[in-house]
Amino acid sequence: MSLSHIKTVDELKHYLYLAIQLEHATIPPYLTALYSIVPGTNSDVSHIIRVVVVEEMLHLTLAANLLNSIGGSPNLKGRGFVPKFPTPLPDGETDFTVSLQKFSKEAVDTFCKIERPDTAGEGGSRHKKKTAEGTHLTPVPHDDSLSFYSIGEFYEEIRHGFAQLHSELGDRLFCGDAKRQCTSEFYYSGGGELFAVTDLKSAEAAIELICEQGEGLGGRIYDDEGEISHYYRFDQIRQGRYYQAGDTPHEPTGPKFEVDWGAVYPIKTNAQLEDLKGSDELHGAAVAFNQLYQSFLVQLTDAFNGDPALLLKAVPEMFRVRDGILQLMHNPIPGSDGVNAAPTFEIEGVD
Amino acid sequence: MIFPEGSTQRTSVKAACENSYDVVIVGSGVSGAIIAHQLAEAGKRVLILEAGPAEDATLSGYEAYLQRFYAATVKDNQAPYPTNRNAPMPRSPNVKKIPVGQTDASNYIVQKGPFATDSVYTRILGGTTMHWEAKTPRFLPEDFEMNSKFSQGEDWPLDYATLEPYYRKTEREFGVSGDVEEQRTLGLPFPDGYVYPMFKMPHSYLDQQVDEGLAGTQVTLDGETYDLKIRSFPQGRNGIPNPKYDGGKGYSPVGAVSTHQVDAGERCQGNNNCVPLCPVQAKYHAGRTLSKALQTGNVDILAQAVASKVHIDTDNGRVAKIEFKYYRDPNSTEFETATVSGQLFVLSANAIENARLMLASGLESTSGLVGKNLMDHAYLLSWGLMPQVCGTFRGTNVTGGIVDLRGGSFRKRQAAFAMDIHNDGWGWAVGSPFSDLNSLVDDGSQFGKGLRQSLIDRISKQLLLAFMVEVLPEESNRVTVDPNYTDPLGNLRPVVSYKIPDYTLKGVAYARGLSKLIFERLGAEDHTHYAPDDFGYVLYQGDGYNIRGGNHLAGTHIMGTSKDSSVVNSVQRSWDHDNLYLVGGGSMPSIGTANITPTIAALCFRSAEHMLAQLA
Repeated sequence: MSLSHIKTVDELKHYLYLAIQLEHATIPPYLTALYSIVPGTNSDVSHIIRVVVVEEMLHLTLAANLLNSIGGSPNLKGRGFVPKFPTPLPDGETDFTVSLQKFSKEAVDTFCKIERPDTAGEGGSRHKKKTAEGTHLTPVPHDDSLSFYSIGEFYEEIRHGFAQLHSELGDRLFCGDAKRQCTSEFYYSGGGELFAVTDLKSAEAAIELICEQGEGLGGRIYDDEGEISHYYRFDQIRQGRYYQAGDTPHEPTGPKFEVDWGAVYPIKTNAQLEDLKGSDELHGAAVAFNQLYQSFLVQLTDAFNGDPALLLKAVPEMFRVRDGILQLMHNPIPGSDGVNAAPTFEIEGVD
Repeated sequence: MIFPEGSTQRTSVKAACENSYDVVIVGSGVSGAIIAHQLAEAGKRVLILEAGPAEDATLSGYEAYLQRFYAATVKDNQAPYPTNRNAPMPRSPNVKKIPVGQTDASNYIVQKGPFATDSVYTRILGGTTMHWEAKTPRFLPEDFEMNSKFSQGEDWPLDYATLEPYYRKTEREFGVSGDVEEQRTLGLPFPDGYVYPMFKMPHSYLDQQVDEGLAGTQVTLDGETYDLKIRSFPQGRNGIPNPKYDGGKGYSPVGAVSTHQVDAGERCQGNNNCVPLCPVQAKYHAGRTLSKALQTGNVDILAQAVASKVHIDTDNGRVAKIEFKYYRDPNSTEFETATVSGQLFVLSANAIENARLMLASGLESTSGLVGKNLMDHAYLLSWGLMPQVCGTFRGTNVTGGIVDLRGGSFRKRQAAFAMDIHNDGWGWAVGSPFSDLNSLVDDGSQFGKGLRQSLIDRISKQLLLAFMVEVLPEESNRVTVDPNYTDPLGNLRPVVSYKIPDYTLKGVAYARGLSKLIFERLGAEDHTHYAPDDFGYVLYQGDGYNIRGGNHLAGTHIMGTSKDSSVVNSVQRSWDHDNLYLVGGGSMPSIGTANITPTIAALCFRSAEHMLAQLA
């Protein structure tokens, strides 16, 4: 049977920090795949990956709203917030790793795995022994050898935690300052609105949105608002075809589209600064990118800690992030026989 | 916004001809789309004839327009749109000065002059809203009463108060970002508590610099004093939704149009490319309204069908059918001729094409006014170099301007105008930034770091003021047809005779004087130059000006109170043929100082109500 459930507000706050970290962790791999596509090709694929990134940002902002609602302080700029790639994620009994790699069938399969969590099932354990090295993104607090069975189970735990603590504390649970909540004036995304979390109902709605759209349990193609979930968005790429309302899973009947798997820059998988030491210019550009990304995380943190209007500045930073990534990817690493550079996302964080 | 897959292929020439429709609409631009949607929603069967090709609107189809634009060496306002000899469109780079007394037949629109216009319109699915800038100001109440108030031009047979609810419908349809309180200060009435769907576009840094530099500036005209202030223009593009809109229900921005769910265009990114194409579809285009119309299942589109003749039943004066030329392949001029019929017929192909079609059908109307009273805003550009870097080429093409001189008693004597501050530098006037690069390299022999710095020094300080000056209706400004001028399908081409009225030129001259005052106050170097060999060169009281077309074509089927003095009534129904509506700018008796599309849309929402009543 299951082990420890969330028992205190501090534990819930920690889980929500992990949720923000988890939602953010998919952004570097998705962006790496997205921007590795040669410009002017694979328009449909680019739009699909791009909208998933935009929704991950929505999820991470909702997770920040959840944390703020119970009096927490989201921190995206600290040590260890950005994982070291390749990073393990749980997938049922075994873990799988997520790399920073170019757009490819392998990458898309990995993305589907991220977005399509397994359930532990009745009587199954929500926790299990880690089978991959490295710092896990869904660790079980108080036991370093364990990980959550899947991301879906992880969110189930958070949902349970809110319900449990609310039954004990009532509305006093939601003691956060409402002015810290980010709403849709400050961030826009295709699927789903950004809304304030101020009580149990809105907290449950936020968790539901993250799960239905993203990596949660449930597994429907479309949610109640008619938005297609991430797993099925990526599945469209594998199928070369769009879903439409009424389809059965894995049998999309919408318009077909072309995927040119070869129109991709030959970037180094999980590139590190070490790999770029041979070229001062490339190394310098990669270091500058990591600094830019760190300052983006600082901006987000400031926005989530009492200044939601800062999101209006942070979102355009994504264009600079794009430019920094493209700059690296379009340039070959000297002496590497045709392998191009890539952003390393080696973000140390500040204390 | 979902464009139903296959909906442009729902019908064929044969099927369309055999079907009986409630309404046949010529033209899939904003007028035709709005009317099609309103009627289809009410269960009516609608056929739209579109001269251009029409594939299902998809994101990749839209991106094909973008790719063509990127690759174009001349980035004019039709650059994204492919050349189609069977449905030709005017293109501005080809416009030439017209030698006195001569006719220039070198382009699609035959121009007799004396003024050569570079105004264009776009004959594709969605029409000219694909390339429009999307400013959405309302007319002022006095614009509807030019004759009563100022003894100039004509009165409308309806007033602002009558049209006001339809402006609100339009602002919802377009998704307008704006500030109602700012508009109220111009004397525009709005219902209490009304807000636009989205907050106004923020002023650009350039707007702010101009506003600071002009603080306290006043001008006096005709005994009245005007404080000059920079205000934002309401615009039909996506901004931050206003939670107070619609009684607190708020507003969800509508983005890109495609056959599958796409999430793009929900907010303007400031790409500064509004004209000729928004890269992300944050800007409204009629494809959104067409999508909604097609979703009802009651609308058929027959594309590559160029309407060529309106046939009248001589017994009762009603329209019997519309004849069109259908071409199978845009690259071949082979065509077949066919006719379609319906209960009602709507011509919504724009002021020039509507008139062309009527005249080609021999339908001048009892008033004889079809094709006459052609109006178009006269643009006077004035450009200078600010003393400080102002960060040009960001944001929408225009975010702010001076609109204090849109109305006033001076209109008894001279034209009013609205003034834009252009965020895209001297582009419109001289071709910046390409022209700057060329001259710095070729004439200045610059390169490397020096070139980069010079570009910043030049381009980042560019200030272009665009004065949009009103034009009154004059019968001699007109569209006619002439059997000597036909297009490759044998359709008669529009022949335009146009002269800028003195009333307007007086306003133009005043505007030039004002621009000098503005540059002086800002400490800006005036670089304005009007070359006599420019196609738009006009002399007024010894001074020369280069005038540009506004692409706001109007007046050619003017509305009024009787069949002897007008072509259509206040709901745009033809006086002579009671099942025919001529809609769009052509119905307007004045163009004031507002971009005309929102008023066109408002009129069409109103006309649609009357069409439904007529069909009932």
